[in-house]
Amino acid sequence: MRAVENALGITIPDNARIIRNLITGIQYVQDHVIHFYHLHALDWVDVVSALKADPAKTSALAQSISDWDKSSTTYFKAIQDKLKAFVESGQLGIFANAYWGHPAYKLPPEANLMAVAHYLEALDWQKDVIRIHAVLGSKNPHAQTYLVGGMALPVDPNSQNALNVEGIALIIELANKAKTFVEKVYIPDLLAIASFYKDWAGYGAGVGNFLAYGVFEQDNVSNTTNLYFPRGIIKNKDLSKVYPVDQTKIAEYVTHSWYEYPEGDGKSKHPWEGVTKPNYTGPKPPYEFLETNQKYSWLKAPRYEDTAMEVGPLSRMLVAYASGHKRVKEVVDSVLKKLGVGPEALFSTLGRTAARGVETLVTAEMLLVWLGQLEQNIKRADLQIHNNEKWDPSTWPKEAKGYGFHEAPRGALGHWVRIVDGKIENYQCVVPSTWNGSPRDAKGQKGPYEVALIGTPVADPNKPVEILRTIHSFDPCMACAVHVVDTEGKEFTRIRIV
Amino acid sequence: MKIPDEKELGFMEKLAQKGISRRDFMKFCTMMAATLALPASFAPKIAEAIEKSKRPSLVWLEFQDCAGNTESFLRASKPTVVEIVLNLLSVDYHETIMAPAGKQAEKSLDDVVKNQKGKYITVVEGAIPTKDGGVYCCIGGRSAVDIVKEVCGNAMATIAVGACAWDGGWPAASPNPTGAKGVKDVVSGITLINLPGCPMNVQNLTGVVVHLLTFGALPATDELGRPLFAYGERIHDHCERRAHFDAGQYVRQWGDEGHRLGWCLYEMGCKGPETFQNCPTIRWNDATNWPVGSGHGCIGCASPRFWDTMTPFYRRLPKVPGFGVEATADKIGLGLAAVTAAGVVAHGIARAVKGKGPEQGEKKE
Amino acid sequence: MQQQRSRVYVWEFPVRFTHWINLLCILALSITGFYIGNPFIQAYSAKQYIMGWIRFIHFVAAYAFLMSFLIRIYWGFMGNKYANWRAFNPFSAKKIRDLADITMFYLLLKKEPPPAVKKEGHTACAIYVYLGLFILFVIEILTGFALYSQSHYGVFWKLMGGWLLSVINVQNIRLYHHLIMWFLIAFAILHVYIGWFLDKTEKNGLMGSIFSGYKFVTGKELE
Repeated sequence: MRAVENALGITIPDNARIIRNLITGIQYVQDHVIHFYHLHALDWVDVVSALKADPAKTSALAQSISDWDKSSTTYFKAIQDKLKAFVESGQLGIFANAYWGHPAYKLPPEANLMAVAHYLEALDWQKDVIRIHAVLGSKNPHAQTYLVGGMALPVDPNSQNALNVEGIALIIELANKAKTFVEKVYIPDLLAIASFYKDWAGYGAGVGNFLAYGVFEQDNVSNTTNLYFPRGIIKNKDLSKVYPVDQTKIAEYVTHSWYEYPEGDGKSKHPWEGVTKPNYTGPKPPYEFLETNQKYSWLKAPRYEDTAMEVGPLSRMLVAYASGHKRVKEVVDSVLKKLGVGPEALFSTLGRTAARGVETLVTAEMLLVWLGQLEQNIKRADLQIHNNEKWDPSTWPKEAKGYGFHEAPRGALGHWVRIVDGKIENYQCVVPSTWNGSPRDAKGQKGPYEVALIGTPVADPNKPVEILRTIHSFDPCMACAVHVVDTEGKEFTRIRIV
Repeated sequence: MKIPDEKELGFMEKLAQKGISRRDFMKFCTMMAATLALPASFAPKIAEAIEKSKRPSLVWLEFQDCAGNTESFLRASKPTVVEIVLNLLSVDYHETIMAPAGKQAEKSLDDVVKNQKGKYITVVEGAIPTKDGGVYCCIGGRSAVDIVKEVCGNAMATIAVGACAWDGGWPAASPNPTGAKGVKDVVSGITLINLPGCPMNVQNLTGVVVHLLTFGALPATDELGRPLFAYGERIHDHCERRAHFDAGQYVRQWGDEGHRLGWCLYEMGCKGPETFQNCPTIRWNDATNWPVGSGHGCIGCASPRFWDTMTPFYRRLPKVPGFGVEATADKIGLGLAAVTAAGVVAHGIARAVKGKGPEQGEKKE
Repeated sequence: MQQQRSRVYVWEFPVRFTHWINLLCILALSITGFYIGNPFIQAYSAKQYIMGWIRFIHFVAAYAFLMSFLIRIYWGFMGNKYANWRAFNPFSAKKIRDLADITMFYLLLKKEPPPAVKKEGHTACAIYVYLGLFILFVIEILTGFALYSQSHYGVFWKLMGGWLLSVINVQNIRLYHHLIMWFLIAFAILHVYIGWFLDKTEKNGLMGSIFSGYKFVTGKELE
């Protein structure tokens, strides 16, 4: 959408920009919390151990880190009973066959119980706060109000069928609920759990190069660099300098991917020239292993200036931190201080997980600020939500090309489009998980996942929870795949989304 | 199809809540056998009879998908996903939310398929690529086709969630490079119900599950395999903006007066008049809103092959094959009528001049 | 040229009647159908019922058209030889032969039409066009009922056209239903012009015949 707006030179109205920021913002908050509690926490939290916890001590622990009101002994006792009844039913469901009791789990039973309670609370919380998407985007998942040129959500304080004060009041309520939970539950839990796993600040560093397109536009220029979370690149873990992003330096290799380029697989291609032609050379399923010196992945290998880049919340927070972003700096420094580690600890599995929390907090704080901007516009009777000029394809030039940058919760997302005669000639997406999960390129350079796993200690090769910690810390978009992990710690997904 | 009914479920829950463990329960059964003067070997049978109240197992498979239906599942509110996972069902395999990974995760699936043959429910999310031996989607080295055949084939019932699992959805959109198909076209002879949509509305999923648990059978479906309770009627006929349609009040441009006042989105390409789903009634996210309610037309995501058939999303009619993107049916039709009229005029002139030569632009007939 | 002209009763009442009913229906259906496809009038109040009435007219006209269509088919078995279905047999060798002649005549390449024009009801060209028209009518009726069946549930509507929905996707049905309207409009223009053209060149009272039923025929009736 942004790519098309860029190609056609469309400037979106201010209201559309703010509404997009709000939708993206609450998505960050909700997605990061789900990621932490439901996709990542069980790598750190031993659910079964929670059965041994003393509810009174759990209550004391919870109250010592936060003034969240659900922290009484009876509350934790009830949760524990529920859990007990569940475990004793003999049907462990999604919790069956996990690595419970694994020596890499370090939390005391009380912390485990607290985390389980919050796991359940977060499940209830997330479905509520994301109702902001329903208000602004019609539904979640898959919001439907995005248009090239703006939004399909009318804004009118005097209509019952547009975004009016009722909708705004609901957003305020939900945004506050989101922020409170992040402040009082997510961040304290994150810090509490992290304090038991400080050694993980030493593992999972990755490639050390970080790319962030930046997010939350502060003006309406197409692909503006005036962003709340800035755009930039950090090279070799050097926080003293932030390099600008030049989209022409992005290119993708298919040397080790199951695709082929007409000019041969040794060269990379810029997305505008990109080609997606499958060429599966792997073994016939079912198979046990894939050969990494050949083609072995459905992901292409994106590179910036021929270098592998890590993307995601850590990249965004590092770029913001290094660019001198005031609020990010404050929060990052306070987290580092509370954990008693230096900025170098950020380049790790723990850093990745902590950066996600920092971002969630800072974003949650901004929701109401953006909403305030929208209210100001409405007050000025600026109700425009869509730029109609180029809606009809007959107004388009014969040929156009554009690109659009976005930061999905899990990282930098770029779309490139070429339009000829009102039709898409070529459309290429370079998505966050291809950056992070990238296979090797023509020079054999590894992607962030592969590098990050090097040197990770694995206590039990048959139960590699440590590998999961690092991989999950990237928030891989492979919800769709069960990862096969071999003993050397390389992990490949085999899902292809066309 | 043997399903525990609600009463029995309630009984088991009560047991569990009273802290009666499985071990205690087995002891109880052995005792019962003794009391009834039956051989001890009967104990398992008694256990089995009572154990019908076990929460039914559910495995959730994902293939060519975006986890949108999983996300939708997490938004469940009646009952909530916590209630589903802890009380209603035993969600034994779900790649996205399950705790184990890798081999251990595969074990969870194997356990269900082997030990509960014919007793578990399968939910399938995502399309299944069938081209080139299924290499376009392999999990743990096995192709999706393989997995779906085994898991759905042994299930009591399969629920295909989302457009992709129904008829291939987005991965199957033209030109369908991976040969993606829906469950109904990959495995035959299974008990299957489909909940298309992009994603499915979780309230319809919980509806099907509760129906299954309450009445012991899947709800009735239409000829496309969709439950009538959710896909029986047209969006247009239940739309809150229908009065504006009948009156003749239409949104003409995004953000115009009609748009702000909530008029009909027909002219903006709304596919409500051709789509069957219960969105206007149950809405989304705790009945907070739905696409037409927010001001964007329906895109017909519960319709067959909707990426190919319901596009362009912002026009009433599809484009005429063989013409450029800007040629609408009306432009072409008007052209046809104009050419005809021009031919007639030319013919008339030619005749008037009594010219012998044939006229160009003359239409036959 | 022989000037033995006689007045012959060609178009019986049902033929004329259905012709005019068809005209009215197609006119009404086209105008309302065009509005339904592209509602060009904007209501100023929600209390109006413009689309409601337009659709009502469309549906009533559709039924009238269907009845008229059925009467005409019935008359194809009961009526005189000009109306009989045999007159529309497209495989008759004579028809195929005459087709070339009449086409040349229409293109002003030939001065004289084939003799059949002077004797019979429809020209060879007309037979083929009307057969095509007949097929278009069938498609319009079927697609119309297919679309109608979306909001009218039941076996009857399924049989009337609803079954089409499982063969062709609904949006294409809508497109064909709409496009054919334009073909019918194009047909109408040609139809009137050719009628007028033949009337002028042949002086056979063709234009009047659809009102009165009588046509002037030169030469003897052969068949």
